[in-house]
Amino acid sequence: MDQSAPSDMLSSATAMLALAAFASAGLVMIMRPGARSIRLAGSVLGLAGVAGLFVEVLKLASGGAGIPPVLPVLFGAIAIFGAARVITHPRPVFAAVYFILVVIASAGLFLLLGADFMAFALIIVYAGAILVTYMFVLMLAQQSPQDGETSANWYDRAPREALSCVIIGFVMIATLGQVLFNPNEEARRVASSVQGEVQAEADLWNTLSRMPKHLKSIARERLQLSRDEPITFVASDPNAVVQSDGKDHFVVVTAQGKDQRIALSAADLPMNAQVVGTTLVRDYPASIEVAGVILTMALFGAVVLARKQVELGEDERRVLAGLSRLSVEPESGGPR
Amino acid sequence: MLNFSLLADATDHAAATAIGVIQPAVDAPDLKWAGLIIGLPALSALLCTICGAMRVRSKLPAFITIVALIGSFVLTCMLFQQLGQGAPRVVGLFEWMSFSWGNADRFQSFSAPFALYVDSLTLFWMLFVTGLGSLIAIYASEYMESDVGKGYTRFFGGVSVFLAAMATLVMASNLVVLYLGWEGVGLASYLLIGYYYSKPSAVAAAKKAFIMNRIGDLGLALGISLIWVNYGTVDYATLFSVLEAGPTAGHGDWMPGAIPFLLMLGAFGKSAQIPLFTWLPDAMEGPTPVSALIHAATMVTAGVYLIARMYPLFALHEDALATVAWVGGLTAFVAATIGMAQYDMKRVWAYSTISQLGYMFLGLGVGTTFGAGYHVFTHAFFKALLFLTAGAVMHGFAGQIDIRKLSGLRKVPGFRLVSYLALLGCLWLSALPFSAAFFSKDTILTAALGSERSDFQFLGWLGLLTAGITAYYTFRVWFRTFAGPVHFEAGDEQHDAHDDTHDPHHAPVAGLSLGAKHDFHPHGPRWAIRIPLILIAIGAVAAGWPAYNVLFFHGENWVQSMIAHSSAVAGSGEVHGQDVLGLSAHLMTSIVGSTACVIGIGIAFWMHLADRSAADRVRSALRGFILTRWIPTTLENRWYVDEIYHMMFRLPLWAGSHILHFFDKTVVDGFLVDGTGRVPVAVARLFQPLYNGVLQGYAATMAGGFVLIAGWVFWIWLRGNG
Amino acid sequence: MTELLATYDASSVNAALLTSSVLFGIGLVGFLSRRNMIVMFLCTELMFQGAALAMIAFGRVHGNPDGQTFVIFILTIAAAEAALALGLVVLLYRRRETLDSEAWSELKEC
Repeated sequence: MDQSAPSDMLSSATAMLALAAFASAGLVMIMRPGARSIRLAGSVLGLAGVAGLFVEVLKLASGGAGIPPVLPVLFGAIAIFGAARVITHPRPVFAAVYFILVVIASAGLFLLLGADFMAFALIIVYAGAILVTYMFVLMLAQQSPQDGETSANWYDRAPREALSCVIIGFVMIATLGQVLFNPNEEARRVASSVQGEVQAEADLWNTLSRMPKHLKSIARERLQLSRDEPITFVASDPNAVVQSDGKDHFVVVTAQGKDQRIALSAADLPMNAQVVGTTLVRDYPASIEVAGVILTMALFGAVVLARKQVELGEDERRVLAGLSRLSVEPESGGPR
Repeated sequence: MLNFSLLADATDHAAATAIGVIQPAVDAPDLKWAGLIIGLPALSALLCTICGAMRVRSKLPAFITIVALIGSFVLTCMLFQQLGQGAPRVVGLFEWMSFSWGNADRFQSFSAPFALYVDSLTLFWMLFVTGLGSLIAIYASEYMESDVGKGYTRFFGGVSVFLAAMATLVMASNLVVLYLGWEGVGLASYLLIGYYYSKPSAVAAAKKAFIMNRIGDLGLALGISLIWVNYGTVDYATLFSVLEAGPTAGHGDWMPGAIPFLLMLGAFGKSAQIPLFTWLPDAMEGPTPVSALIHAATMVTAGVYLIARMYPLFALHEDALATVAWVGGLTAFVAATIGMAQYDMKRVWAYSTISQLGYMFLGLGVGTTFGAGYHVFTHAFFKALLFLTAGAVMHGFAGQIDIRKLSGLRKVPGFRLVSYLALLGCLWLSALPFSAAFFSKDTILTAALGSERSDFQFLGWLGLLTAGITAYYTFRVWFRTFAGPVHFEAGDEQHDAHDDTHDPHHAPVAGLSLGAKHDFHPHGPRWAIRIPLILIAIGAVAAGWPAYNVLFFHGENWVQSMIAHSSAVAGSGEVHGQDVLGLSAHLMTSIVGSTACVIGIGIAFWMHLADRSAADRVRSALRGFILTRWIPTTLENRWYVDEIYHMMFRLPLWAGSHILHFFDKTVVDGFLVDGTGRVPVAVARLFQPLYNGVLQGYAATMAGGFVLIAGWVFWIWLRGNG
Repeated sequence: MTELLATYDASSVNAALLTSSVLFGIGLVGFLSRRNMIVMFLCTELMFQGAALAMIAFGRVHGNPDGQTFVIFILTIAAAEAALALGLVVLLYRRRETLDSEAWSELKEC
């Protein structure tokens, strides 16, 4: 992608700002508890703004040519729609459900970006665990609706200071957009990716060479050996078992008494989950520990928070346990 | 026969090329004691202030002032005797103002030492100023005695200040010191007019006098500045020698010509001529001695003095003197017509003063400084006499001065002397043939009638008509007040009952008149009032001596020679004019003037003594006839001049000040000052909803701050680094 | 699966980045404007989503698994935070019987 002329840059930036402004206006119109027509108009305006933004962004990506690909846009639109509903729906449970929709769309985007393990991990942890917790609490903290009202609480129906908040949000999105979506950044990304791909490929082979079990199972498969037969690797560097001769990658194993060379193809490369796992353990072991500590502390905190805050005196405890009182002091309620 | 002849060239531009020969001044350091003429009244003012601070409750301030003034008069006489009519002497007293600036190329300096310029004009003026000042101070010591302990000290302090300033004005050797005296007399006049400061009308009159004087003073100040710019000096001696050397190349062609007009403006302000005359009648709110001294005899003549002193400068523009003459002539006529219709005795004399001052300016304008100076001299005496007799009436009748409410006072015991002295004054004012004023007025009118300019001749005839009117209104007052059946009503300023019993001269009057308030007894004046009156009357008669000398004994006219030896020499020649209607000018003037005077007195006699209802019949006759209907009311309302000024100046200023006040309040105060105060409040209120305790407010602030920082980082910092 | 993405797909990355920005923005707006405390925290989860998506996208750009690794930690933190936040919300609910965040506004300045 070569550098566009400054005027193009400017016009595209301005166009994006304008579209973001439209989208924000649409959002404001949706948020206010006004007439249905206003909300409808707002949603149309918002959708149009978002669609325009996507078009601009994809134009940037492909240099103004080609058909915009369907899947990223689809997932992105669903995620944004879900997010809009999260913040505007008057009933909290519905908001949580729309959030699940957002999570799923987000997972789809993860997939498109090659993070298949993370996609499903996201679904499991977020939609499965965190959102379920939210649902529990929502049920717990339900308030019965006043008479004559729908089941939405009065404080859920109207946002506070919609315009100011949307303005802040618009400024945020505008800043991010200006930074992320200009041709310089785009070029940098492309250059980085070109560089990164090479590195990624090398890294993958590197990772593969640290997965002895996996390599051994591949070797066994190729050589049609059974599981019991011993295999050892022959390599100058035990950490770089997979070798390359510039064209192919291969590994040299010793099996059945003779050295065999096993060619490896791209299909043998580790999967995303294996990559992530290896990276975690190999490169960030301390972070795993810290994450564990954090989770433990969250557990403790939750237990402490959730406990009933009743402090009984000794007398009350004895009464509760069925024993007699110790003294004849007048009863006093425990501090609550 | 009378033989007056005009010495100057009888050419059209009045004294244009003939400034006359002014003797150069001589330094006279041995005359430093002349400074005491100013110093004594100044010292008396200081002592009166100390008396006031020490709350003196006796007549001590009066004694101090009288002694100081008599001292000044004696010193003036000594000075006169020593110098006579010699060369002008310059007596330096102390170094006052002197600065210089500039570099070697354009070195400029300004110097105005406090020095005296004593020539015959100065002495001439100072003689009657100090003389009348002393006599009136004696008069006032009794007149103001009801205020002993209350305002007495303040009064005499003011009088002392006035006389010190007047002396400074007359004896100054340069224009800056003259200006100092000019302002000083204005200040003293303000203080003394506003003497009864609890009366709103008095306070307003004082303000009016001061402000109108100020307008004239502006002209004078500008004139002095232009004189300095054009001639490089404000000193008289230097100025006269520069002027004698010939016309100068001024800094611009219009500048020298503007000088006389500016000086004229100052003179008109101080001497109450058109258009700045309305302050003088209002100034009658002050005590009568003040009116006599300041507004009849001395301060109002300062304008005449200025023009006489600066007479050579009035040759700089050909129309300057003509303007002076026209203003003087018209003022004389207009003021006389107003005087015909006033009912307040002091106001009549005030308009009479304005009118007579008009004569003096007319005289200056037509080229006879001798006539003007002589008229100043005589007028001072008889006008002071008239005011003081009016004051005596007021003093005795508890402030009553309305001629409709007083009658036949000459038959009231204690007032006979006052009445006959007033008669003397009235006769002099009407220019009775062979009175002193007859000669002085005659000189002026002869110069006017006999002039070659037809407009001056017109002014001369107008002046003769005015003389007739003067005689009429003067005797209207006298016949109404002092003649006829006895009738009086007391005024508003009744003394307390116990004051009357202390007065040995007061006696109940037989046939006490109707309308007397509870047990009112008029008390006649005592000796402190009578003696000054007698002395002034003697002076009034004696003022005619120079003329009698010439007329009967072929001697020298003393006044003329006094003026001839001063800077006003250009107009001091004997007056001689063209023949008018076949007779010589002065003969015509004498005959017509005398006739006018007699006719005026006769009409006054008919309307105000013989048949008093005739006045009302004349009035209704005038109102009945369509063409003259406006006359009585207009004259009574003083030609509506005050109202015109109100509309022309006060209303726009009032409107302007309200607009500015509004502007000040809303824009400056409200918008700028308060607005600046409101800005921080508004800014605070802008952000205040973020801090209402709700969690999201703080979150919004955090988000906003982050956005700002992010924006700065991304837009400015990163872009800057490419 | 790497063959699927042998070449850098700029359009997915850009779309993903846009989505992440918008999600973050919408999450911010929701957090500031909703009054129900639980929904407020739900919106913070939305912001997490946006961040995670951006992480993955940039990981794809650079070809690292580091982005995905960090998302794991994001998940961890999000879970811990959700637990504690909800516990606090329940406590607050017990005090005032309402989930309205404006019930807790005593620290005002005026």
